[in-house]
Amino acid sequence: MLLESVSTMDFIGSKLSDFLTYTGFANVEWANIIMIAVGAFFIWLAIKKDFEPLLLIPIGLGIILGNIPFKAAGLEIGLYEDNSVLNIFYQGVRLGWYPPLVFLGIGAMTDFGALIANPKLMLIGAAAQFGIFGAYMIALAMGFEPNQAAGIAIIGGADGPTAIFLSSKLSPNLMGAIAVCAYSYMALVPVIQPGIMKLLTTKEQRKIKMQPARKVSQTEKMLFPIVGLLITTFIVPSGLPLLGMLFFGNLLKESTKTTRLAKTAGSALNDIVVMLLGLTVGCSTQASEFLTLATVKIFALGAFAFIIATASGVIFVHIMNLFLPKNQKINPLIGNAGVSAVPMAARISQNEGLKADPHNYLLMHAMGPNVAGVIGSAVAAGVLLGFLS
Amino acid sequence: MRKLLSVISFLIASSAAFAQGAHDFKFNEVFVHAPACCGGDSTATCSKTPSYVDEYGQSASWIEIENTSYSTHEIRNCFITINPAVLDKTMSAPEREKLMSVIPAGDPRTSIGAKQRITFFADGHTNRGTLHLNFTLPVGKPFTLYLFDGNAVDLLDSVRVETLPVGSSFARINGDEWQVLEEDKVTPNAPNLVYHNDKIREFKEKDPYGIAMTLMCMGVVFSCLILLFVFFHIFGWAMNRAAKLARVRAIRAIHDQASKMVEMAKQGTTETRGIDMETYTAVIGMALHEYFGGTHDLESGILTINQTPTTWADKSHELRVTPQHHQAN
Repeated sequence: MLLESVSTMDFIGSKLSDFLTYTGFANVEWANIIMIAVGAFFIWLAIKKDFEPLLLIPIGLGIILGNIPFKAAGLEIGLYEDNSVLNIFYQGVRLGWYPPLVFLGIGAMTDFGALIANPKLMLIGAAAQFGIFGAYMIALAMGFEPNQAAGIAIIGGADGPTAIFLSSKLSPNLMGAIAVCAYSYMALVPVIQPGIMKLLTTKEQRKIKMQPARKVSQTEKMLFPIVGLLITTFIVPSGLPLLGMLFFGNLLKESTKTTRLAKTAGSALNDIVVMLLGLTVGCSTQASEFLTLATVKIFALGAFAFIIATASGVIFVHIMNLFLPKNQKINPLIGNAGVSAVPMAARISQNEGLKADPHNYLLMHAMGPNVAGVIGSAVAAGVLLGFLS
Repeated sequence: MRKLLSVISFLIASSAAFAQGAHDFKFNEVFVHAPACCGGDSTATCSKTPSYVDEYGQSASWIEIENTSYSTHEIRNCFITINPAVLDKTMSAPEREKLMSVIPAGDPRTSIGAKQRITFFADGHTNRGTLHLNFTLPVGKPFTLYLFDGNAVDLLDSVRVETLPVGSSFARINGDEWQVLEEDKVTPNAPNLVYHNDKIREFKEKDPYGIAMTLMCMGVVFSCLILLFVFFHIFGWAMNRAAKLARVRAIRAIHDQASKMVEMAKQGTTETRGIDMETYTAVIGMALHEYFGGTHDLESGILTINQTPTTWADKSHELRVTPQHHQAN
């Protein structure tokens, strides 16, 4: 009897000690703790500081989720384990089909009216893409391969879905770091951009009042996605997944016959994809994959890319103003909106404009380069993909 | 009619999709096994390296087919042959089928992934499995290989194979360019060229600082957006112009009409229907005044609100006192 109870106790003891080897406490490393703290910091930024909560809360929780330590025993629970639920969600990132779905939603929500009313603002959206290629050159100088440099540089487009799409094709091993970096800097647009904008403009320039935009007819709005699709994809077919979905979403909205589809694409579908995208991107930052020197370099390059993009947009407006008549000058504060962080960058233009002159409303003017930036970064991604894949 | 058009469109799209899949299959490499070589009665040099063997460990001639597309396609039910009689267009499909070797269905190996290959053994032993054909390749003689679609009528690909040196294969190297591969370069069930991403290497060598990439990419980005700018600039101008023209036409039409009315009123030829001529003229005059001076159809579009100090929201102007909440005893 005693022997039996001893063996039962041994059995329970061995099973419990075996169970303990599976717990997070037994498998935790400092790297996991650091990453969990980073995730918690993202959530704090989102809730307390209101920095893009729609992005940072899923990413922040994803970082925590992806860094819960566990024993590698084939339990099919980790993001990088075949057939796990997270791995199935991650396929949308790995195979690059979340970004086009997000672009569908962006297209369905975007009003290109400001851009059509003042088409010269498109050029600001193009100029801001210098951020991508400035970062590309710096990345090459830092020793990255051209395909890796391109994946990192696209952060300068300030476009999370495009960054994920391109890095999944060109540099899949860096995709987690690139995605988190892109979204982090997008959330930090209100911190990064105003200083650069002020540095590159005088008080008088910040007060420039732009002429009100003309009224855009529905025909023009309907024509824009079709012409835009034809022009951009004939020149850069490799940008087809992103540009195709962007203009498709916009046509759903502007056709006025598919309002229901446009609403779904811009709300429910977009929300679902953004949730899964944010969560899985966060999860992909497992400490062993993420806490490397390459990640530090990527974050540094990302910051450079944003700074160059913002500065090139503002400087380009100064150049344009040299050629424009006095009554058609552009306020250089909308130059920052050439990056495609929609509508955060345009909001920064508006806020800075109001600080300089409380009666100067720049939001609608800034939306022009902002949506042009979306097109510009998708085209840039397509060109890089065409050159390097 | 609409339904008919939809059905026709669907059928065209379906047939195009079907044809696209099948036509992506191309012969990729052919190897003729020379069994007499090691038997001692051939004058040809014997092969130095062992050749590709089937599941039974037997060497045989083989034919490699590649799916040249970037999507998975099924090769099942297609036909392979070296019999030129199948080119006779008067022959019926069942007659053709008898002259060819069919690729059986029901084997997952016949589903060929993007840019992947399948290798068939031309050994005349179809009983050995899906990958075995019912004919052999002639040794020391030229022949032509034909690949037919599942209907046994549409020719998907063909290749003329001249007499090959022993141990060599005939391979498609670059697009539709074929060449003889020497014995040590034969690549059964593998790409005929080792793939390198030459683009990345080229950029690394020739553009180490990324300047060329920057110039090219920015050029393309600007081109796209400049084209859009030009299109919508011209289109916007045309739309504005059309709207203005329409407005001018309307004004002119009303102006003409008004002039006529004034003229008629002056001459007293207008039907007054019991209204005094003075009243009638006054109405017309008022309408004309409204039109030329008082209408608001050509606005600047600028809204201005000048701040004016006012006491409209002053608390002292409130008509009642703030309600007092008394606690119930």
